[in-house]
Amino acid sequence: MLPLLTGTAAAQPAPATPPTESRTMDMTMEVNGQVHRLALDPRTTLLDALREHIGLTGSKKGCDQGQCGACTVLLDGRRVLGCLTLAASVGGRQVTTIEGLSRPEGALHPMQQAFLDHDAFQCGYCTPGQILSAVACVREGHAGSAEDIREYMSGNLCRCAAYPQIVAAVQQAAPQVERS
Amino acid sequence: MPDGIGTDHQRIDGRAKVTGGARYASDVMLGNVAHAWLVTSAIARGHITGMDEAAARAVPGVLEVFSHRNMHGAVAETEFFAKGGYVGSTIRPLESDRIWHDGQIVAMVVADTLEAAREAAFRLQVEYREEQPAAGFDAAGVEVKAASEGGFEDPEVGDADRAYGNAEVKIEAEYSTPTQHHNPIELFTTTAHWVGGKLELHEGSQFVHGLKNGVAAQLGIDPADVHVVSPFVGGAFGSRGSLTQRTALVAEAARRLGRPVKLVPTRDQGFTIATYRAETRQKVKLAAGRDGKLQALVHEGWEVTSRPDPYKVGGTATTARIYACPNVRTKVNLVHADRNTPGFMRSPPELPYMFALESAMDELAVALNMDPVELRRVNDTQREPIKGLPYSSRNLVGCLDAGAKAFGWERRNPAPRSMRQGEWLVGWGMATSIYPTHIGAATARVTLLPSGHARVQTAAHDVGTGAYTAIGLAAAEGLGVSLDKVAVELGDSDLPPAPVAGGSNTTASVCNVVMKACDEIRARRAQGQQGAIEVYAENVPEGLPPEAIGKLYQGRNALGGGLEGGKQAMAAFGAIFVEVRVHERTREVRVPRAVGAFAAGRIVSPRQAHSQLTGGMIWGIGAALHETTEIDHRTARYMNDNLSEYLVPVNADIQQLDVIMLDERDSQANPLGIKGIGELGNVGTNAAVANAVFHATGTRPRHLPVRIEQLLG
Ligand code: FES
Ligand code: FES
Repeated sequence: MLPLLTGTAAAQPAPATPPTESRTMDMTMEVNGQVHRLALDPRTTLLDALREHIGLTGSKKGCDQGQCGACTVLLDGRRVLGCLTLAASVGGRQVTTIEGLSRPEGALHPMQQAFLDHDAFQCGYCTPGQILSAVACVREGHAGSAEDIREYMSGNLCRCAAYPQIVAAVQQAAPQVERS
Repeated sequence: MPDGIGTDHQRIDGRAKVTGGARYASDVMLGNVAHAWLVTSAIARGHITGMDEAAARAVPGVLEVFSHRNMHGAVAETEFFAKGGYVGSTIRPLESDRIWHDGQIVAMVVADTLEAAREAAFRLQVEYREEQPAAGFDAAGVEVKAASEGGFEDPEVGDADRAYGNAEVKIEAEYSTPTQHHNPIELFTTTAHWVGGKLELHEGSQFVHGLKNGVAAQLGIDPADVHVVSPFVGGAFGSRGSLTQRTALVAEAARRLGRPVKLVPTRDQGFTIATYRAETRQKVKLAAGRDGKLQALVHEGWEVTSRPDPYKVGGTATTARIYACPNVRTKVNLVHADRNTPGFMRSPPELPYMFALESAMDELAVALNMDPVELRRVNDTQREPIKGLPYSSRNLVGCLDAGAKAFGWERRNPAPRSMRQGEWLVGWGMATSIYPTHIGAATARVTLLPSGHARVQTAAHDVGTGAYTAIGLAAAEGLGVSLDKVAVELGDSDLPPAPVAGGSNTTASVCNVVMKACDEIRARRAQGQQGAIEVYAENVPEGLPPEAIGKLYQGRNALGGGLEGGKQAMAAFGAIFVEVRVHERTREVRVPRAVGAFAAGRIVSPRQAHSQLTGGMIWGIGAALHETTEIDHRTARYMNDNLSEYLVPVNADIQQLDVIMLDERDSQANPLGIKGIGELGNVGTNAAVANAVFHATGTRPRHLPVRIEQLLG
């Protein structure tokens, strides 16, 4: 018989620290130009804050560990992973989510339009992250060639594998995004 | 031109998807929702001997710890889906202290917040008594059974062994394909909510009526009291077709706590709480005359499954029927191990088995000194060889011609290692693709308003396939209105039932029934009926019994068609051509371009069909070069259960892909002549890549995925 295993994983010792006290932390967050005041568990990630507390569910959870890119949002215009960013750390900075790229009934952002035109998604689950990543990719100057786009969009997995269509969409939107 | 079947159009659900407005299961906002976190087993076989809940319960905000101690008897035993039931695994976690596989659910903690539930789950102490598990093929303690014991028919004709013995040219080889996980980007989430004694379930599903009836059976409630809501699904690929065990647990927790419960399992938990593609080992023997005509085909497979469930891949049903061959012998064996139960994954039978057959065909072409395209041409047939059924239509030759031309195949130097560019060895390979055409019983309600607006309601599923758009186009054609006037409602069990989104049947099944309803509306209008006209239609395809509709309402599958059924064999075909580059020193493999030519009946929505086919081909490239779930054979546990170590293709892995869709009319298959395409692009691409690697290097890859280490030395 093999030795007894304890814990949820064999190699993982039981946590010795006492349970976390019930406490919340006041935080302020500016999302898509709107200021939100929240009292949250300090461990809350930006992704969970957006989805569970603010009600902006466009940002998706695909792994919660920085491996898929579905949670990509813009922080002061740069792409970050919402699942690896603590909500408490974004005070005083501007968060842009997919819901902030265009107005509900208005014209789409050129990148959204390009994704639609090129059928650059199937299930659509990775799409908000892809689109925000694509906007940042262009602004970073990494959309100069198809090869560059492929490389700099590789942090966003698409299991439906809409990759050729995503590259075509980024190429279509790039000139307009550069000008904006 | 009015909109209809064949109109190039953007997805009608596309705006919702690019704006973040599409609501997937875990996006519903419910008041007072409690959050669940799973604890899964650290061993693959044995028993739970103790559970210390004190530290978990002490976490502020924890509401309950569910385990076998308080959930025993809560979820009733139900049949395996292949035996007419609903569940993808008959293992019932939290029913007892028994552990059947690694990562089995052993507890579920529910708390006021996600953070508290997660902390408490990590503080739960579980003790086990472990027994030595059998991880797979070579382990002591596995149980091998012929699939025929469970009723599987091993296709056979003539005397393959004698013909093989007498043949002039022959090859024999062994191949293997690995465990793969679907890994849709949406996690396996479930949110359950009881309102006035009725259960509302938000869960991404490929079969909402199956989920509804299955959960009702498990919880002992009336199916009429279950409502499944699944308008958007974040990828499925087979993983959301039959019931997983989590759903009933979340529903039961919500019932006991009297508030909504939301479960978002982790990525690694998804490897063990849902299904996966079983690993296979296969032996193929092929024999031919000097003219290349096949004289014998022997194909035997071994497939891993769980201890209790006889899940079968069974791709010999296809490989036995694709080429003209008078002598065929096949056999499928199931190897029961201490693993979770495998299940359907995109092109379930064909992906592994066609890899072996199409690799073997390439080996035979080499042995014959014949062009591999020519070998397929020589063995083309309009009748499947096992029962002699005619194909309703089959244009493999057209695919071979169109694909070869677009690829520039005639410039290929057949000698291995004969083509190079700088430090890269260049290889060109090809393979045949086939996917059986399925069609199921289906129902739909179509309403035409005097304003010219129309509404289509059916509980079909758009798992990224483009079903919303395809169904909308069928209705636009049927009613003679433009697509922007058509609203399509899918993915809700309150709608009239449609079949499981599996076997690439949705477009054929649903468009045909929608067209039937539209025809009726037009007839009534012609008779002078005024005002809004609503028609509910049912369609039972030829070959299925009338009870098929009743079964559908019970959430049971009623699919017909395919290669083995009634009076004809039905399938879509394709030919895949791939260029690989293998670095001379590092043996890194790249795929700079691929061409797929397909004859798949009438293409309903070309833009989305194109995406399905490129997506399928990329899956084939992933199957060839990237994907494998690695298993620790001592502990029978998955080792790379995350998205950075379980490799899937990323954007930089894919370069040029060209898809050709041949015009094909097949009124024999179904009235609209629709065949499925969601799984076609996937099949054969893995073999085409491997065959190209052989051509580049002279080394024959027989075990997927093809990794650098196989090509060194
Ligand atoms: S959810 Fe953040 S990277 Fe996957
Ligand atoms: S569209 Fe499905 S994961 Fe990208």
